[in-house]
Amino acid sequence: MENSIILNPEKITADLYPKKFGKAGKIWTVILIAVCAIGLFAYIRQLNKGLVVTNMRDYVSWGIYISNFVFFVAISLVGSLITAIFRLANVEWSTPLTRIAEIIAVSAIVFASIIIIVDMGRPERFMNLFIYGRLQSPIIWDVVVISTYFFISLLLLYLPLMPDLKILNQDPSKNSRFLNHLYRIGGSFWKGTKEQLKINNKAVTTLCIIIIPVAFCIHTVTSWLFATTYRPGWDSTNFGAYFVSGAFLVGAGGVITAMYVFRKAYHLDKYITDLHFEKMGRIVVMLALLYLYFNVNEYLVPAFKMKKPEEEHLKELFTGSFAPMFWFAILVGMIIPIFILIFKRGRRPLPMFIAGVMIMVGAWFKRYLIVTPTLLHPFLPMHDVPESYKHYFPSWEEWAIAAGSLAGALLIMTFFVRIYPIIPIHETINEKNEMAEKK
Amino acid sequence: MKWLKKNRNIFVFLPLLVPTMASGQDSVEKTPTLSLKYFSSDQNIPYILVQSRYKVGRKFEPVKGVTVLFYLDSVAPSTKITDKATTNEFGEAIAALPPALKNTWDASDKHKFIAEAFGNNEFDGLEADIEINKAKLSLDTSSADGVKTVSVTVTQLENGKWEPVKAVELRIGIQRMESILKIGEEDTYTTDSAGKVNTEFKINNLPGDKKGNLVLVASVEDNDQLGNLKVEKTVPWGVAENPVNNFNERSLFATRGKSPAWLLFMAYGIIGIVWGTLIYLIFQIFKIRKLGTETSS
Repeated sequence: MENSIILNPEKITADLYPKKFGKAGKIWTVILIAVCAIGLFAYIRQLNKGLVVTNMRDYVSWGIYISNFVFFVAISLVGSLITAIFRLANVEWSTPLTRIAEIIAVSAIVFASIIIIVDMGRPERFMNLFIYGRLQSPIIWDVVVISTYFFISLLLLYLPLMPDLKILNQDPSKNSRFLNHLYRIGGSFWKGTKEQLKINNKAVTTLCIIIIPVAFCIHTVTSWLFATTYRPGWDSTNFGAYFVSGAFLVGAGGVITAMYVFRKAYHLDKYITDLHFEKMGRIVVMLALLYLYFNVNEYLVPAFKMKKPEEEHLKELFTGSFAPMFWFAILVGMIIPIFILIFKRGRRPLPMFIAGVMIMVGAWFKRYLIVTPTLLHPFLPMHDVPESYKHYFPSWEEWAIAAGSLAGALLIMTFFVRIYPIIPIHETINEKNEMAEKK
Repeated sequence: MKWLKKNRNIFVFLPLLVPTMASGQDSVEKTPTLSLKYFSSDQNIPYILVQSRYKVGRKFEPVKGVTVLFYLDSVAPSTKITDKATTNEFGEAIAALPPALKNTWDASDKHKFIAEAFGNNEFDGLEADIEINKAKLSLDTSSADGVKTVSVTVTQLENGKWEPVKAVELRIGIQRMESILKIGEEDTYTTDSAGKVNTEFKINNLPGDKKGNLVLVASVEDNDQLGNLKVEKTVPWGVAENPVNNFNERSLFATRGKSPAWLLFMAYGIIGIVWGTLIYLIFQIFKIRKLGTETSS
């Protein structure tokens, strides 16, 4: 029904034009800045005093920071799903979602990179990774792949934005001086000529092709950071596919959450319709089932064998101290969303939003469970370490920095929405015209 | 009753169960024990080892953290071997003879070592001692007509002279990484009236070091009079081995500059293709820019 509403280009432009923050938007932004500031303060403390302010010790040397890193890398994968796979598969209904997916990808990958530096005890040595990097090391593969993916995502955000910049440049009186300056730098040269469009379309298609293998690489390589290490829970040949499927799920969960929030905040009901939720809901169910399948593989097969070194790790997850978090992540991150979204009534905006939030929360804890319990149960326990080393709960600095990074990613998205149209104006107008012509 | 009558033979075995049950009850009790061993070799200065253990049934359980003082011949401040030693997780602590006791050590052919535990609830005041004759092993080799012979002599100090000791059980072998390899068919040998053991070295083509050297070892273990004695001798009876060291070759586990060539080729190839495409796309942006500027002019 919503698609049949006739929208003229002026109306579309007016609806999708970036808008100033309302009261709620301002409060939201201030909260995010405050959380970021607390995170920054905690990081300065960590810089001054060293990683000793964290609760990471000899056993758990990858704690909440690396969990957060894996979460960010996972969520960033949605850019390749919505923008590239859907575009190449000619999925037309995905147009309003492409930019949402791309900005989620860019902001997530920015903070994935930042959080890795935060995890370094000596961040001033960061450049040594590039200077003295060892190509045999999965860490270096990750460095290469993340920087490549970041660059591709940035291009994939910018190139389809060019036609919209022309629209934003058309009436400078609508914008502040700063925004006019920004729009002029970014797109004053875009005239929308046939040649420009042709080059742009070709470039976007090339990026869509190239981003898919790079996206698969980024998360596969991240999984190999774990799988190439001989430890209970990580010693798996299944990890690449397991991580990629989980990444698609959390990314799709992030998109449906963002779809609901943007639709509500900017009254975009005519553009992000119930049909979009319905279709995304079906995709999310499929992805959740796929991820559940990989989880069954990951946990049930080792549990069936129950090899001695794996036993302690698995029992801790199933019935031990990590059991509440483990079952929470499985139920909230996969099973309940599947039950919500499998029914048509569940694929309406609000239940979808709830399912999206559940998927993301579940996914964050799932990453924590991938990282921490394994480190607490090495094949060879360490001798003569203080009892406190054998347990891990993040310090307030770690929580503050992790929360600050999540707020930072949201802040990038918030500012992006304030500056640029979150739904492509030019593409939407074109699509509506094509639909009108078909009729 | 019928069953009992039919199986009355079972009562024959009942007495056998009694000691088993009794030992089962004993196993609950833990008796602290302290024991000493003496070690002497041509490679080290003599030392003593104390073991603090609980006797549980027929087994011994090591006890960590027992503090022990060692003395030579008598318990006195002047004969103290060490200030104190504490047993490790295997219930063991060692003490080597200090230079200060050289005169006492040289003055007699026989010595008594005494260990005294203190400051530990159950072990406090517990003493152990061991008396040994000063003895040594000597190892000689000869080779004639392709037959290699090993000769070991055990001597002990008697009235200031080294006299042979007969009927001492000893082992002869080759020191390998984790254990001693037998050189003949016997596990142990016993010295004759001249305190000697002669045996043929029958192992051929055994890998040695780079020069083909093997380390022959002769040892006396837990002898009541002599303690633990050991002697070593390097002989060129092995096959020279030059282990292949691929440390400097390109491999996945090699250092930075030694990545495998195929990995470098693949990785840089993929990175080159992807970044080449991205650089091409950047040029396309400049092309779009140029087209736009030309159109407006």
